[in-house]
Amino acid sequence: MPYAITEKCNGCGACARICPSGAISGEKKKRHAINGSLCIECGACGRVCPQSALLDAGGSGCLMIKRSEWLKPELIMEACMACSICVDACPVGCLAMSELPRNNGVDAFPYLKDTRACIGCGFCSRECPADALTMKKRDKDKGSR
Amino acid sequence: MNKPYMGKILMVDLSNQTMTEEAIPDSVYKQYLSGMGLGAYVLYNRMPADADPLGPENILGFCSGFLTGTGSLFSGRWTLVGKSPLTGCWGDANCGGTFSPAIKHCGFDAIFFKGISSSPVYLHVKNGKTTLHDAAHLWGHDAIETEEILKKQHGPKAAVAVIGTSGEKVSLISGVCSDKGRIAARSGLGAVMGIKKLKAVVLEGVKRIGAHDPAAMKRLSRHCNKWVNFPLPLTPGGIFARVGTFMRVTPVVFPQDGLLYKSILRKWGTGGMNQLSIEMGDSPLKNWNGSNRDFPLEKSKKINPDLIKDTEIVKYHCYSCPLGCGGICATKGKYSHTHKPEYESILALGGLCMNEDLDSIFYLNDLLNRAGMDTISAGATAAFAIECYEKGILTQKDTDGLELKWGNTEAMVALIKKMISREGIGDLLADGVKVAAGKIGKGSIEFAIQAGGQEPAMHDGRNDPGFNVHYSLEPSPGRHTLGAHLYYEMFQLWKRLKDLPKPSLLFTKDSKYKIDEEKARVAAACSKFMSLSNGAGMCMFGLFLGAKRIPTFDWLNAATGWKLQPEDYMLIGERIQTLKQAFNVKHGIEPKDNFMSSRALGKIPQKEGANKGRSVDIEKLAPGYWDQFGWDKNTGKPKEETLHKLDIK
Repeated sequence: MPYAITEKCNGCGACARICPSGAISGEKKKRHAINGSLCIECGACGRVCPQSALLDAGGSGCLMIKRSEWLKPELIMEACMACSICVDACPVGCLAMSELPRNNGVDAFPYLKDTRACIGCGFCSRECPADALTMKKRDKDKGSR
Repeated sequence: MNKPYMGKILMVDLSNQTMTEEAIPDSVYKQYLSGMGLGAYVLYNRMPADADPLGPENILGFCSGFLTGTGSLFSGRWTLVGKSPLTGCWGDANCGGTFSPAIKHCGFDAIFFKGISSSPVYLHVKNGKTTLHDAAHLWGHDAIETEEILKKQHGPKAAVAVIGTSGEKVSLISGVCSDKGRIAARSGLGAVMGIKKLKAVVLEGVKRIGAHDPAAMKRLSRHCNKWVNFPLPLTPGGIFARVGTFMRVTPVVFPQDGLLYKSILRKWGTGGMNQLSIEMGDSPLKNWNGSNRDFPLEKSKKINPDLIKDTEIVKYHCYSCPLGCGGICATKGKYSHTHKPEYESILALGGLCMNEDLDSIFYLNDLLNRAGMDTISAGATAAFAIECYEKGILTQKDTDGLELKWGNTEAMVALIKKMISREGIGDLLADGVKVAAGKIGKGSIEFAIQAGGQEPAMHDGRNDPGFNVHYSLEPSPGRHTLGAHLYYEMFQLWKRLKDLPKPSLLFTKDSKYKIDEEKARVAAACSKFMSLSNGAGMCMFGLFLGAKRIPTFDWLNAATGWKLQPEDYMLIGERIQTLKQAFNVKHGIEPKDNFMSSRALGKIPQKEGANKGRSVDIEKLAPGYWDQFGWDKNTGKPKEETLHKLDIK
């Protein structure tokens, strides 16, 4: 089931701007709508909506979360098999494989190349076969690994 | 969401610039999976029998693997399909990198192109929108430059498949490139893309790919990864030359376990086999007329795996691969950042031409990847030209002044550059050995080593007769990634399929040449398994781990919920293989015309080296192999009852 926008929507367009699949459209200051065939249920719309106008795939209401509070992927290097499934899973392209090998190794590793672009969807973590990525709240001063 | 396939294809007609989305029934996936299987299904049913491979009726398909994106490992290969202009037969080529999941993220299992555009175009798919864009500004750029321009335009996450200048110039040995140096090189399908004036396919989808039981997929993947990480102590790469020498002289051998091969791939990549293959007689030398005596250790040590490994900056993993046989290398040459050359490229541009200069191999590898020309066919055609020159069939007047002698690196580099630009002698050679021999005449066809027009890979079927069976009898002739005795040993299919024979713990080399039913069963099992695997998008190197360690059948069940037995899946492979053969028959191909060149079959056996005295009687081997599939023993054509049994209409 795709996400849905309720009548609480004031047409601010925040959801349409962040949606990575281009599923949301609508006129400014008018209720927006989600194209169900494009929605990938990443939840980004729900996290940015100041009106709490989004219903998730299960029909529950979504609450806006401050962007600094969004969960971000964190790598457990020992578990990572460098398969790059996580990089492919990311709908916004904020993850990348390193151009140099990991310490004492020969393989590259995934890292958050564009922290600001991350929408906290968790697809990278969910699809990692080795569970080498966990979604965590980041400290402000923490590095990008 | 819980299916591993998207259930849709995109059909693009370049002649009238229309794009049509089509739903594919579930029953088709149950019969053929996707990848090569879906490609065969569409091409068999929709391409008219007399379609010119370089005409508007040929259909070119970019097909994603059935298991791609399901949480399985080694399952990120996409298959390019079409009627091959090089062979006139069923054509396919597959490639790793990141393009396979990108097709599914756009909501399709495959994207097909028919017709011919009046001007260069590229396809862009994003968020459900498909658009053909003008590609005039891209035409003339090499594959890597084009990818960089398109990624600058559409963003770094865009997956790009592109032809280089060789595809534009309709070279029959050109392929389709992606990920800055990976290439679906075989069958000459780059020429089909070139004649259609389709420069690139750019994909930017984000659709999710499902699986019936994601938790089971992960569990199976972890089981597999344990074997990928199974530690085997490995010595410096030079030791393999000695192992190869031992394998050449020993009269008895034992079945190979892919765990060793996996470890070599992990440490060095495919190039780890360079010296070993030369020494043991697996690698053809001097245009299939030489032996290790022509390319002894003093020469082959210059392409020692350790020398190549020294240039590696970081390992390159294709999508969903935990092994990482690829590498990004830094060299001193023009292209300082380049994909590590593969074994096939090193030996085709090295030993086959008697070239021992590693720098030139790196350089040519990059040059050919940029041009989008197949390194195997390019090396093989250069070796053919050198032999013609050495025998006086070609003179310096014909070669634009190039002194094409064995081991003349400078002349060879210049020759391949001419092939890429189609200048002078290069124009004659840019369509592979068979076309070139047809133009040169004077008995040169004898040195044009090919099967059905396709230059075979760097594995000598006189050393492992299984290669000659598959080179000669596959619907896509001249291909090395479908079967061999060695592959059968490493696939270890008998551990999952009780009816298949288990190799003896020790056997004589001579026994490999004996023609019996077991050989036919073994070869047919490889073909069925690889057809299935190419439908699933699996990497053959992963499959070398062995059927109990890499859970292909179990992944398929967990991804679909189908609960089929390995035998049922092998039947899917058999159906795909038979459909490809039926495609050839529909298009007027006589399977017997695809037998390997006499020299590579050892009709006049070699007088020295590992393969001294060895010959492979393909006329006697063919009926047994064809019979395993229910194809006519005399003609190789699928019988009516076989097509009926497999529900091929």
